[in-house]
Amino acid sequence: MKQRLPFTFTFVAFALCLLLGPLRPYLVETAALTPFYTTESFAAETISKPCGLLFYLASFLQSCFARPWLGASLFVAVLVAIAYVQRWAFRMSNAWFGLCWLMPFALLLNYTQLGYLVYTLKFPAVAFTPALGFLFTFSFVGLWFRWDKWWWKVAFALVVPAIGFWLFGVYGILAALFTGFCELGIGHWGLMTAHKGYGNFVQPGIGRFGRRLPFTDERDRHMLWGIVVFSLGSAVPVLLRKVLPYPIDVWAGLVQFTDAERQMRLPWILALMLPTFFAIFRMEGKRLWQTVVSAIVFVAAAFATYTYSFRDANFLGILHMKHAAEAGQWEQVLTLARTNEEEPTRAQVCLARLALFKTGRMGNELFAYPDGAASYNAPQQNQWLRLMIGPLLYYHYGKTGFAYRWAMEDLVEYGERPAYLRYLLKVARLNGEQALARRYEAALDRTLFYKSSEYSEYSEFSEFSENSENSENSEYSENSEYSENSDYSDNSDPSLRPLLSYTDQLDGDNGLVEFYLLQSFALSQGGSRPMVELALMNSLITKNLTDFWPRFMALLPGWNGKIPTHYQEAALMVAQLQGGMDTSSLPIDPAIRQRFEQLVQASAQNGDNASNAYALRPAFGDTYWYYYFFVQGMKTT
Amino acid sequence: MKKRITIQTIASGSFAGQGRALRMHCTMPHPTTHISYLSSFIFYLLSLLFTLSCTPSVPDQADEAGRDAVVAPDNHDATLPPNIAPLNFEIQEEGEAYVTRFSTHSGEELVVGGQTTDIDTDRWHQLLQAAVGDTLFTDIYVRQDGRWNHFNRMANPVVPDSIDPYITYRLIRPSYVMYEELTLNERCLESFAERVIYENMTLSHGNSGQCVNCHVPQRQGQSGRSQFHVRQALGGTMFIDGDRITKVNLKTDSTLSAGVYPAWHPTLNLIAYSVNETGQSFHTLDPQKIEVIDYASDLILFDPEQGRVQHIEHTARDYESFPTWSPDGRTLYYISAHHEPVGTDIDADLEQNYQTLHYNIYARAFDPHTRKFGPRQLVFDAESLGKSASTPRVSPDGRYLLFSLADYGQFHIWHKSADLWAMPIAADSLTSSIEGGGEAAVALPLNSPESESYHAWSSNGRWILFSSRRDDGNYTRLYMAYFDAGGHAHRPFLLPQRQPRHDLQMLRSYNAAEFMVRPLQPSRRQLLKAVRSEARRATYGGSALSIPEHDADDTAPLHIANQNHHNIYESN
Repeated sequence: MKQRLPFTFTFVAFALCLLLGPLRPYLVETAALTPFYTTESFAAETISKPCGLLFYLASFLQSCFARPWLGASLFVAVLVAIAYVQRWAFRMSNAWFGLCWLMPFALLLNYTQLGYLVYTLKFPAVAFTPALGFLFTFSFVGLWFRWDKWWWKVAFALVVPAIGFWLFGVYGILAALFTGFCELGIGHWGLMTAHKGYGNFVQPGIGRFGRRLPFTDERDRHMLWGIVVFSLGSAVPVLLRKVLPYPIDVWAGLVQFTDAERQMRLPWILALMLPTFFAIFRMEGKRLWQTVVSAIVFVAAAFATYTYSFRDANFLGILHMKHAAEAGQWEQVLTLARTNEEEPTRAQVCLARLALFKTGRMGNELFAYPDGAASYNAPQQNQWLRLMIGPLLYYHYGKTGFAYRWAMEDLVEYGERPAYLRYLLKVARLNGEQALARRYEAALDRTLFYKSSEYSEYSEFSEFSENSENSENSEYSENSEYSENSDYSDNSDPSLRPLLSYTDQLDGDNGLVEFYLLQSFALSQGGSRPMVELALMNSLITKNLTDFWPRFMALLPGWNGKIPTHYQEAALMVAQLQGGMDTSSLPIDPAIRQRFEQLVQASAQNGDNASNAYALRPAFGDTYWYYYFFVQGMKTT
Repeated sequence: MKKRITIQTIASGSFAGQGRALRMHCTMPHPTTHISYLSSFIFYLLSLLFTLSCTPSVPDQADEAGRDAVVAPDNHDATLPPNIAPLNFEIQEEGEAYVTRFSTHSGEELVVGGQTTDIDTDRWHQLLQAAVGDTLFTDIYVRQDGRWNHFNRMANPVVPDSIDPYITYRLIRPSYVMYEELTLNERCLESFAERVIYENMTLSHGNSGQCVNCHVPQRQGQSGRSQFHVRQALGGTMFIDGDRITKVNLKTDSTLSAGVYPAWHPTLNLIAYSVNETGQSFHTLDPQKIEVIDYASDLILFDPEQGRVQHIEHTARDYESFPTWSPDGRTLYYISAHHEPVGTDIDADLEQNYQTLHYNIYARAFDPHTRKFGPRQLVFDAESLGKSASTPRVSPDGRYLLFSLADYGQFHIWHKSADLWAMPIAADSLTSSIEGGGEAAVALPLNSPESESYHAWSSNGRWILFSSRRDDGNYTRLYMAYFDAGGHAHRPFLLPQRQPRHDLQMLRSYNAAEFMVRPLQPSRRQLLKAVRSEARRATYGGSALSIPEHDADDTAPLHIANQNHHNIYESN
């Protein structure tokens, strides 16, 4: 026991620190991407398919990641149980106990390595399914040897592969296969010391003639049982495929990675090889070197797990910012954007810009925030922004049709994940579709942790409401079509209403969320004051200055003499570039005028554009001028 | 003498009784595959134990609530066939105890307890038989604060006309471009037995997804013939004739796409199809969410025996779709809209002007001997009403043309303005049907503010099966309504479910439902084998018109096909 506890405590501490430390937002996101409903129909539909019970239980436990402490504790508890049950099943000595942790580390890594792929993996409950599956497998291997009754073994040999397969998928088969390996190993190697009390139920009946009959020798009997169990384990899925009126997936319960994700298979290969090894070669002994080797392997496994866990700063940064945005903590979003030390991805840039818009600081600070187009650390670059924050961006910018569309498309593709239901509910409410909203409310209320009441108040928008200008001051408000769309206002977030003051149209975004938002706002005409400001800002971002002055002038009265900094900068620049506009009458801060003159002089003194970009960044990197002239090639997605 | 049947509740009825009911009313070749037998057994065992533990009785005294009880689904006043499965419901009233009594004038009575009814199928059918030609009454009692309240009695007329015992449909999420899990299902209407005919994920791997749609039988399956499409991976149209299955690729170099919306000739082994260049665009703000637009469409006739495709309609500026035959097989009805393109960008043009697409109903006479069509004739001028017609279907007696009518377009499942209309037509003459004109067309009283769209006639012409989004505007549910000999549609009822909450909870839609008089013969395994097989390619056989029309080929729609939108029917 004393030898086991240090391994146990070390593993628990390591796993909890990893899961609840850097990977905490990953756990929360995983829960939102895990469908689990407390309904009879969900249970019946899940359990009626091969591996159904395992998927059901695993989904239940994985949904607990919504409370990271609870979910992580459950996950670690299952992994610890695997180590102990593995030792028990394969009768491993304390000296080799460190090896029992290879499987828990592999299963931990199986989950922590996924990163972005957690969005696209359609496998149910990727963390808990293999963990619970292997726990089941090892439990039955252990029970086989612990209960020395012939009828139990016959029943086991017949029932575990068949019913076990239906309830636990491939793990039911693995239970039979590993048991078969154990028996064959014992029969072949004659490793009987660990099984002293086992198997002598044929001998008494045979009596003194026993040794002359085939399979009466104890080693032969092990071989026989091994062949029987192994054969049944292999045959059952094949038979089921033939007998059932429709084909079944014999690999149900195994994550099937694509070739592009082949490195993800390593923990699985390890997880399948280890028990086979333990089954055939008994891990016995009490020698010190065995303990030392065991400990070294343990430490190496921990190191590998930590190293290969997906702790990409931008990935976790997006998740942090997304969760803050969903909680309406826009200041927190901005803090995260400012403190990010890596070049941001477009998803982070988009979230920061949304937060600036929500807090009414877009015109003053947008170009001072980190910009960039860092690659997502995963294949298929174009899909991650849409998958992670597409509906969120569309919803908050008032493109409710597209928010609903992508939430529904993803629900179709990846299942009834709470993450999608939240936006379907929000849009239904915003559209005034009460009956539809009730359907989604009921669906969320059938989850464990995502109750619809959490989305019934729109407190997250209050900051914007307080900071945004009164649209009544704008001449555009007279043109607003919002009044015509007043039926949408029922039960909706008031701060979003001004963003709905546009004429519906048919459109398509080809999955390019940021590009679509930039273009649709930059090319929009009229609308409420927030919409005009978005049009102005997005035309500045896209460097399309054609309609700058009409939009600027429309917004000018509402600024009450305090034009946001970037618009002052843009006004000076556009006047300089296009001419025909006297900016002296505009209430532009003299310091900004002076700074603009400094920029013009400095750029004239320096050489080419590249050297100007480098030299002027410290002094002017936070201005629209710098963005306009020197920031190029941002790949919007 | 009062015959009283007393059963209990949440899941009443015995295992044996239920089994009898299934055998008596449905002969599914393969029983339900969604619910495992083990879970069913446990479920019924618990129900039986619960049944034995207490028996509900109608309260001796009850206060009159003076109003209707709130129940879901609400099928009150719906006209019922004598062979429909139990119409279970949930009583959505606060209470401590619940008792529901079903009764007839003849004295048959059935009492169930519980907030959610689960009526024994055998007992229910006995009750319905006793109420044929009369009325089935439902009395709901709810105990609140120790006192029983009796709500207004519900009355459902029961007519002698049976409903076809089976329906087929596709279960699909109300998706747009993406699709994942799709199943073609067969459901017995006399019980709750349901089976999956085909599940697309069985043969879908990775990015090679597979879409299945449009299982349509010939004459409600009376001939044993039906068809369905498989798109993308292993694509082709599956033709079922008894237990024989043939896979054909209907796309030819001379036609727009593979066959899309099918219409079996009632007696010959011929099928008319639309071929469509279809794209999807998305509303930015409208609760209707999506517009499915045909950028071009034609009609073809397919002869399965010869493997030959011929054009029926092939014009650039007229978009034809949703063909359907008269029951005598001498007239083909379909919808068509005329559109003069503005500019060369058909995508932008129709995205701007989609609301100007108004489809009328036309017809062409068909000679079964020469297998040629006559000239096109207008049957219903929807455009003159500022409307657009879709999915015409002729009643089996040939007296009525049933269609959906909305403000524009043809994909009415996404149009909240879509309602079902019926128009009397002559049984055996195209001319007289046209003389009847569109003036006699009327909106049916079964419509709702939400979309009513895809519909089908039962084999006896007395029942209409239709899709409706009346519940929430987004998820399609199946309703059935009685259509009497006088041409009047009665109040519809929702497809019965064992668990009344089933449709409330399910985030899937029923799609393209059709009546069937008998179950589909091939097994799921046979269908899978056929889908895996190589498709036979159809050949092109020119025009099927007796007098080919001049503008047919020179401005072929292929040349103006939309460039930006992926045609969802492009590949077979």
